[in-house]
Amino acid sequence: MQLFVNIAVLASIYALICCGYVLIYRVSRVLSLAHGELMMLAAYGLYATASLFSQHPLLAVAVAAGLALAVGAAVYAALMWRMTGESVLAAVLATIALGILLRGLMVLAFGTQTQYPLRDLGWANASFAVGSARISGVGAALVLGTALVYGGLFAFLRGTRWGLRMRAAGQNPLLAAQRGVRLHGIYALAWALATFTGGMAGMLIACDAGLEGTLVTIGLKAFPAALVGGLDSLLGALIGSLIVAGAEVLLIHYVDPLLSDVVPFLVLLAMLVLRPWGLFGSREELDRV
Amino acid sequence: MSKKHLIAAALVALPMAAAAQNAYVVGVSAAMTGPVAGTYAPVVDAMKAYLEHLNAKGGVNGKPVRLVVLDDQAQPSRAAANAKQLVSQERVLMLLNTSLSSTYAPMVAEAKAAGIPLYFAGAVCPKDTFPPADPLQFCSTAFGANLDSQAALAFVKAQTSEPVRIGFAAMAIPVSRGEIDYAEGLSKTLGMTPVEKQITPPPTPDYTPFATKLKDANPNWMYSWAPWVSQVRTFEAMRRLGWAGRYITWAHLNAEEELARVRDSGFFVIGTNAFLEDNLPVHAEMRAVAHRAGLSHPVSYLTEGYVAGMVLESALRNTSWPPTSQKLLAAMNSLKVDLKGLRGGPLEWTKENHFRTRQYYRVWRWDTSANRVARVQDWRPIDVQR
Repeated sequence: MQLFVNIAVLASIYALICCGYVLIYRVSRVLSLAHGELMMLAAYGLYATASLFSQHPLLAVAVAAGLALAVGAAVYAALMWRMTGESVLAAVLATIALGILLRGLMVLAFGTQTQYPLRDLGWANASFAVGSARISGVGAALVLGTALVYGGLFAFLRGTRWGLRMRAAGQNPLLAAQRGVRLHGIYALAWALATFTGGMAGMLIACDAGLEGTLVTIGLKAFPAALVGGLDSLLGALIGSLIVAGAEVLLIHYVDPLLSDVVPFLVLLAMLVLRPWGLFGSREELDRV
Repeated sequence: MSKKHLIAAALVALPMAAAAQNAYVVGVSAAMTGPVAGTYAPVVDAMKAYLEHLNAKGGVNGKPVRLVVLDDQAQPSRAAANAKQLVSQERVLMLLNTSLSSTYAPMVAEAKAAGIPLYFAGAVCPKDTFPPADPLQFCSTAFGANLDSQAALAFVKAQTSEPVRIGFAAMAIPVSRGEIDYAEGLSKTLGMTPVEKQITPPPTPDYTPFATKLKDANPNWMYSWAPWVSQVRTFEAMRRLGWAGRYITWAHLNAEEELARVRDSGFFVIGTNAFLEDNLPVHAEMRAVAHRAGLSHPVSYLTEGYVAGMVLESALRNTSWPPTSQKLLAAMNSLKVDLKGLRGGPLEWTKENHFRTRQYYRVWRWDTSANRVARVQDWRPIDVQR
């Protein structure tokens, strides 16, 4: 039972992070390699708001979530918007440069010390029993948050006008633009949502394990899960995360903990050999890449 | 190169060389930014603050000490470039490393080529600093491979009347794994039963899968010797899984602050630097120096850098003006620094031993009834021998 809980928590972390990669790629064909840094920036946002509104933790969380959305939209407006019409490679390189810039700025602004936003919010990460297993409060929030994010996104994409526009822009931007869809607004929304979901993962990881520079690397570690599922499929990101997390947890438990670092990439290699476009990805997307 | 260029280069180089000759110049390559900066930047910042304070008081032998700090982000390639720059352009008397062990090789090579001392401060002491020491490598960092595990397991044995079933946690970096492998072997010779060993990769998004395996092995003690993040997260994950045993781990820079955050009486830290709770006169001095320098790190993080500053001062004081690397090496080969209580005794280097001749260990934990950090074991010496 404990293994199932461990898989669910780890898969939730990966799924929340992957969600951002997929949203941006699906809508704008850009692979954001600044996702880990944006995730960490959102976590620092929570740290800042937790200090500012220490008496009102829920307000601090709400403001931090709003900031994450705003930062995503701002990144598009300030940088990625200018990449429209440029090659995909140029856009990807722009995200790499953005990541380096953000990393430096975060060290300057927040220093190198580990921070504990959960403590600043005045909350504790107690654990509770789930059957014969135990799960931490933050672990439960991760699972619940992932379910809500994915449920919300599926409903948004399928059941709302903006969701329909977003899908249209992703499938055929030229046709969508000719039908009156404002592509820049859609892309900005995709960046905002991606930063929000990644940021949510960053905030929850920071609440569980503290906030420090290694968070960026965790952002990259989740990337194979997105590729396994298919880079343009939200369902794929969810399933890919479950597969990678499952393999990781089971190998740690039954084989060797050292394998945990390479498992995501082993699964990814196997997938690239058998089905390069991922479990739920579109074959034509691969051709575009 | 044309004659004009040569003259221009000479004009630029002359004032630099002159400036360098007016001070004792020490070159530092450190992980000031990057993922592990939290461990290393406070050491360099404290050392800089100490030396600025020293310069304000008149410097060493009437000359200021100039620290040239270059950031290597814990990357070997950057460390190599830094070492080259420090030796060839800054003409430093000594190289100093405060970074990950992966940056050591290029700096050792550069120090050897230039024949200048290489001092590790706040970075793990390489084996070459232990007796019989490499002629050029020195170290003042608090932790020492093998000795730390000997002290920690001796403490576990002394604390436990029932049979010890011990688990081990390391990070997947050579220095941590090597030490935990050593501790596992040592535990057997001490009559303990090693039950499980988990090695976590850096970084790990969730420590629970590793903690689950450790908890399932049902140890009554755990020992971890790794970067702080790995040590404390493994412990916290085990506690959340309901494990009720005792856990001993290395007291890194942030240990005192972290004991107050974790607040668990079963969580012990073993270390060789005094805690601020001792409230020594040198602690008041550290606070004043940190305040003057405007350091943002908690004062408890600064001990390691302050010790390095004291060691540098002592070594340079014994290096008469004009300084040469050879004079400095001679001074370092016969050095005894009074650390004013920051450690259990003086730091002593000899020609054979560039680590220290005696290492003193203390153990602390959180006292839940007194609601403060409590000392569980006072200074216990271990002689460092060949």
